[in-house]
Amino acid sequence: MTSQQLSAFELEIAKLIVLALKLKADPSFIEPEAVLFGDGLGLDSIDALELSLAIAQTYGYQLKSSDPEIKATFSSLRALARAIELHRTK
Amino acid sequence: MLDAPLIGSYCPDDVLAWEPDGPRSAREFLSAVIILADGLPDRPSVLNLLTSRYEFLVGFAAAMLRRQVTLLPQSRAPETLRRIAVDQESCYCLTDRGEPVHDIPAVVLPARRGSVRPWNIPRIPLHQHVAIAFTSGSTGEPTPNLKTWDALVSVARATAKRLGVNAAGVKGVVATVPHQHMFGLEASVMLPVQQGLTMHAGRPLFPEDIRAALTESPQRSLLVTTPLHLRACLLAGVRLPPIGMILSATSTLTSALAREAEQRFHAPVHEIFGFAEAGSVASRRTVTDEDWRLLDGVALARNGSHAFIQTPYLPGPVPIPDRIAVTGRATFRVLGRAEDQVNIAGHRASLGDLTRQLLEVEGVHDGVFILPDGKEGSLSRLMALVVAPGKTQEDIQHALRRRLNPVFLPRPLVLLPRLPRNETGKLPREALRQLMERWKDESSHDV
Repeated sequence: MTSQQLSAFELEIAKLIVLALKLKADPSFIEPEAVLFGDGLGLDSIDALELSLAIAQTYGYQLKSSDPEIKATFSSLRALARAIELHRTK
Repeated sequence: MLDAPLIGSYCPDDVLAWEPDGPRSAREFLSAVIILADGLPDRPSVLNLLTSRYEFLVGFAAAMLRRQVTLLPQSRAPETLRRIAVDQESCYCLTDRGEPVHDIPAVVLPARRGSVRPWNIPRIPLHQHVAIAFTSGSTGEPTPNLKTWDALVSVARATAKRLGVNAAGVKGVVATVPHQHMFGLEASVMLPVQQGLTMHAGRPLFPEDIRAALTESPQRSLLVTTPLHLRACLLAGVRLPPIGMILSATSTLTSALAREAEQRFHAPVHEIFGFAEAGSVASRRTVTDEDWRLLDGVALARNGSHAFIQTPYLPGPVPIPDRIAVTGRATFRVLGRAEDQVNIAGHRASLGDLTRQLLEVEGVHDGVFILPDGKEGSLSRLMALVVAPGKTQEDIQHALRRRLNPVFLPRPLVLLPRLPRNETGKLPREALRQLMERWKDESSHDV
């Protein structure tokens, strides 16, 4: 629940999500393991597209639906941050 | 001409569709359609929820052969599907894994493939009712719009002719839009199969998915998409294979974005104007035309300040949900949305209807949906002001998610002790605007 649970990079990604999707939320309060889509933050496929764009522009990582890991990547803030760290080119 | 062929002039071995595991020939398609049609239950209508564009087409065609109507819900929100199920009590559904939806019995596509049937393209009577596109009505109940085979075939042919699909040598179609949406059905299913093109079965979302789908499709395919996907492809810096042409719809494309897309992808960018009640009715090449040109066979009619669409394939005049100005014999300009109408990512709704659905949520005493002033080109989301003592934002969002297409979910949803209603019970626009401004200022520290 608290910001201490977020690593510095997770907080960076949380800020990216909030900015890219114009959410009215405090990034440090996004629960790292909570689901991002559906009932969690309530994001939809248009958000996924917006978010993928922000990730491509900031980190040079192009998301693919055909990637078998894609569902896991988008499952939570923590998983997304881990995937970006692994695939980033900038 | 009292009927039209199910598909265009394919040779039996021509590739009609591209599935993730490879091509489907026209012969394989027709066999799959006939096998499925034989096994469908004897019911008047079908909710076709199949994810693959190709499998959807197999289901749609098989239903037509059995003279069954395919239902196109405006969203998959559980409450929407439940209402359609109640309304169309004797329907069944086609689902990927055969799970029933809200007690509607489900049918799975048979796995058997192969070219077991002789080559014979069936013909469908033009007057046959083949689909119902639901729109959100003023009462909150989904409103059915009946589509004849004539309407779908006419729009597919008129659109292909307007774009010059054959002259440009386009052989395939890739689409990012859903095939259960009216524009998707017309441009990404009917257009390719009536023109004898290869239809990509996928629905690419990310720029990298669009690149992969175009790579699997014939060179210089038609890309059927939306301004959001186009913008993402441009900004993500993805290198797309050569495209024949681009067709965009669902929300207005700015001429700046269209120009950038034409330059980057070396392809003309066309736009379609349409709405579920009438289908596609006009087009323009966005970089050069401000005015929309009616498709062949479509005419405008006026009655006072209201404009209507008239065509031989629609039963009567259909009101246009936007304010327009007629600028020539077959051209018009869009001035703005009609009062109360919103269009979010290609889905239209009336704020009044959305508000009614909000008020049906348990624990909501008062509430209203509003569209904040958005920046040009960016996606605007709706906002809701809600009075619901003892309830949290999450409670209400959760209840709305069951009822509404997710694109209409309010972002943000603001809980208030009361709404600024005047003595007649109305919500003055100015009071709402002030409330929104104040809310924006108070919450700006959040980000």
